[in-house]
Amino acid sequence: MEMAEGDDEEFGFSRNYFLAKELDGSGKKSTRKLSDIDLVDEQELRAAASNLEPKHAKEVRELMNSYRSLYPKWLFELRCGFGLLMYGFGSKKALIEDFASTALTEYSVVVINGYLQSINIKQVLVALAEILCDQMKNKRSNTSGNMPKGQQPFNSKSVNDLLAFLDGPQVEENDCFICIIVHNIDGPGLRDSETQQILARLASCSHIRIVASIDHVNAPLLWDKKMVHTQFNWCWYHVPTFAAYKIEGTFFPLILTNGNTTQSAKTAALVLQSLTPNAQSVFRVLAEYQLSHPDEKEFKDHELVKTRRDTDGQDCLYIPLTAEALGKLLLEIGQ
Amino acid sequence: MTPSPAMAASDLASQPPSTAPDSSENDNIQPFYVLHKASSSRNSHRKSAARRIDLSPSKPAAAKAQVDARKAFESVWSKIHSSIKDVLRDVNTNVFNEIHSWVCQSFLAITSSGVPTFAQATRSFPIQTHTTSKQLFTGLVLIKNMEFVDDLLTFKELGLCLKSHGCHVANVSSVDILTKNGVGGCLRSLLRQFVMGNLDAADVSILASWYRELGNQNSPVIIIIDDMERCSRSVLSDFILMLSEWAGKIPMILIMGVTTLDAPRNVLPSHVLQQLCPSKFILGSPAERMNAVVDASLVRWGSGFCIGHKVAIFLRNFFLNQEGTLTSFIRALKIACVQHFSMEPLSSILGLLAEEDGEGLQGERLALSSKVEAQTDSKLALGLTELMHSQKCWSTVVMCLYEAGKYNKVQLLDLLCEALDPDFYNSMASKNQTRSGKGFEISSSSDHFMARLNLRKGGPIHQAIQKVRDLPAASLSQLLKSWENLSMDILEIYDKVKELQRMVKFEEGKSLKQDFPDLAKRHASRSPANVKESKTINDKAATLISTMIRDFMKPIECVPYHEVVCFKDVEKLKSALIGDPRRMIQVDLLEFHKFLQCSCCSKHCDVLLPSMPDTSIMYTLAQEHGDLINLHDWFQSFKTIVVNCSTKGKQRKGQQSPLPKKRKDTNENQNEGEASIQARFCRALTELQITGLIRMPNKRRPDCVQRVAFGL
Repeated sequence: MEMAEGDDEEFGFSRNYFLAKELDGSGKKSTRKLSDIDLVDEQELRAAASNLEPKHAKEVRELMNSYRSLYPKWLFELRCGFGLLMYGFGSKKALIEDFASTALTEYSVVVINGYLQSINIKQVLVALAEILCDQMKNKRSNTSGNMPKGQQPFNSKSVNDLLAFLDGPQVEENDCFICIIVHNIDGPGLRDSETQQILARLASCSHIRIVASIDHVNAPLLWDKKMVHTQFNWCWYHVPTFAAYKIEGTFFPLILTNGNTTQSAKTAALVLQSLTPNAQSVFRVLAEYQLSHPDEKEFKDHELVKTRRDTDGQDCLYIPLTAEALGKLLLEIGQ
Repeated sequence: MTPSPAMAASDLASQPPSTAPDSSENDNIQPFYVLHKASSSRNSHRKSAARRIDLSPSKPAAAKAQVDARKAFESVWSKIHSSIKDVLRDVNTNVFNEIHSWVCQSFLAITSSGVPTFAQATRSFPIQTHTTSKQLFTGLVLIKNMEFVDDLLTFKELGLCLKSHGCHVANVSSVDILTKNGVGGCLRSLLRQFVMGNLDAADVSILASWYRELGNQNSPVIIIIDDMERCSRSVLSDFILMLSEWAGKIPMILIMGVTTLDAPRNVLPSHVLQQLCPSKFILGSPAERMNAVVDASLVRWGSGFCIGHKVAIFLRNFFLNQEGTLTSFIRALKIACVQHFSMEPLSSILGLLAEEDGEGLQGERLALSSKVEAQTDSKLALGLTELMHSQKCWSTVVMCLYEAGKYNKVQLLDLLCEALDPDFYNSMASKNQTRSGKGFEISSSSDHFMARLNLRKGGPIHQAIQKVRDLPAASLSQLLKSWENLSMDILEIYDKVKELQRMVKFEEGKSLKQDFPDLAKRHASRSPANVKESKTINDKAATLISTMIRDFMKPIECVPYHEVVCFKDVEKLKSALIGDPRRMIQVDLLEFHKFLQCSCCSKHCDVLLPSMPDTSIMYTLAQEHGDLINLHDWFQSFKTIVVNCSTKGKQRKGQQSPLPKKRKDTNENQNEGEASIQARFCRALTELQITGLIRMPNKRRPDCVQRVAFGL
């Protein structure tokens, strides 16, 4: 019976696929261009985009409220050593943070914004180790005995050592953990396999629990069986919120703009803001240099800096932004 | 940022979740940040309990209940888990012993060629010796699983086993043997495990001096690589070459997990292969392990936690059709367990039962201890006592059946599914009511009984009984012996088995007497008369097991109070275990009304209305396109739907027609409207991009997006 159902699904899928292909090849393929649309001015479009009235605000709020009855269950599962994985359409950022702010007050909570373009996972580990260390110190001073002093600072420890520290033995009743919230664990800044491996190892640490969200339909492909069953140990929750992907969407270009210069400058500025002043000035120097040498302009992606091999075989750094965007960006970070 | 506990409680009542966590703009663009630190009151038990009460002011008892439930879960699960680990270790015992004696022999062979002096051994260049001393003794452990994940534990256990025999052991896996880290990465991993210190320099000579200084030269150094086929080939080759260079100085023995015996030849170049002196070992089969795990976790009444019939069927299909690994099966069981404890208020009793360590389960008369009785009302306590007895009987019969089924390669999980089926039991019970009463009738024919049991033809139980009837005499008496052992605690069954065993002995004696006087006639005497006699014994055994089924194999779901110990909610388990984002996200978009339940949109989401979520409109429209969607067309149809709202929609509310109507451009701020429509289109597209349901235009197709999912 179940097999037959599976087959049906399979059949449905392939039929749909070929129907779609057929539709495409039936000669009625539209050749109209994006540029045929009477596009409004980019500034105006951005202004409109930021002022959009959300639809169903009341229903969305009620839907999110309805998930509150699940909080005790989620907490229970975290305590029992599971990770929580939230999926379903709509931004789950507010939902998860609400859960953390109301139900996880007795645990430290660290948020990782996986929707950002780049995240230094080692820094996260260092921060987590510091929090845990503090927590253990507090605990010890409250009971008895003291912490061995004169430790190496966490900054200079390797990823392995940091993970080993976070995976240390539980002192009492197995309930001393830090909860990490990973918004968009399938996001661009975390998508590479090395980071996922580290996250998986992190999730399996005795002092760590993880609550994460995914939005991409293919997100499970990021993990192998070892990660899923022995490390992340997910309990899945289908919690569609229909809330707008406001912050998560910031880093995507608006399709109906010509060239997207404002957007790329804006996202680049956002990323730059999170860097140290030193790093910012290095970027500024690089940007100014590139602007004064306008011949170099082969840009591929939305990343900040790329390397390219020049004719002598040496690696060159460059910023993959148009001269215009770069100018705007310089103005913005110059302020 | 840290909210006070009182705040949290009042927030909960007043504020909606979308506004409660007031994460500032700045936090949103930080790669990571601390939302709040653990409240300091955590350390005190009383206060933390009070906090939990704060969390749900309406139910002050809820917090305590949750603490109890978690403790109950932990004691129950740790019991299940440790018994699973035990049986898996037992499955491996023979191979592990074999490996250990090979290790001893290899160590003897290495050390017999002479031990280098300390100075020689720690010198950073190799000593010149005969080439054979550079050979590494290598144990190839053949794993039979499709997926590697099931063997992780095996190799960990192997390491522990060898350690317990005094060997120095390091477990290395493909994560350590990466091209990126080179051979230094593997070495660092070894040093971390052997020398334990925090070492920056990765040098084998450190390992050599560690080995010498330790004064522990009586034991070998064993390196276990659990998944050699997944390692970087070049790094693994270098690593092996390096180890072999030092083989004369440190008695190193390599153990590698492989899926085929050809693996080393496929992975390693010949000059590296020459350094290996291989021996092979074979691990137990997945089926063998699965049976052991099912026995330990689900059949024997050990932890008290049970699953219902539907859950068992689901777990079986999940294993056979979907995941195929023991690890995922055990995890599914753990999720079932945690779901049970979070849903069933009485489940904490189960924790008490588990803590008792099965004391009350010994002997024929089962009784709840005073501790449990004190916490439950007398009716429930009585019910639970009966339930425990019933379960004990059930598991005995299932195990007896399994012993018989083993001769026919019946899998315990299949047997379990059938034995848990309440329908099977109920139909049998109703049939029996109309016929004869309870009681053993060993004398009557087993055919008669089997007909009454209403068994599924060819099902595992049917197969097992059939096998009992066909077993040769020697196997049959073995089987009866195992039944005797299994039924030790249940006199009603035990006595009958004993009686049957006496009959067998008597028959054997008879045939022996017949045979003895004339050996030449032996062959002839085996036929008709004897065969018939042994057949009647077989038949009696089959009748016995059939009556055992009828009288004692009561599925848990047919026993009163089973809800306390038995998890039945298969849907909950399914959704927590298997996320299906690919399907569900599409369903969310296409059937949004199920969730939002608004009054403005039609319940049937295929009728497009302007009030619908933009992304839902867009995705529904996308269904009509091929695998490529022309952005211009898509925008136009989106606009048609949306504009419909601002003009037509106002006049005729709730109109059903999604048909394009001519746009009335009478609006004064038409341009503003246009900008907003374009912005909405862009945002919906971005949201679809975030979900991965479409791929954005590329250079080759600047005007089209590509659909990724077709059908649900």
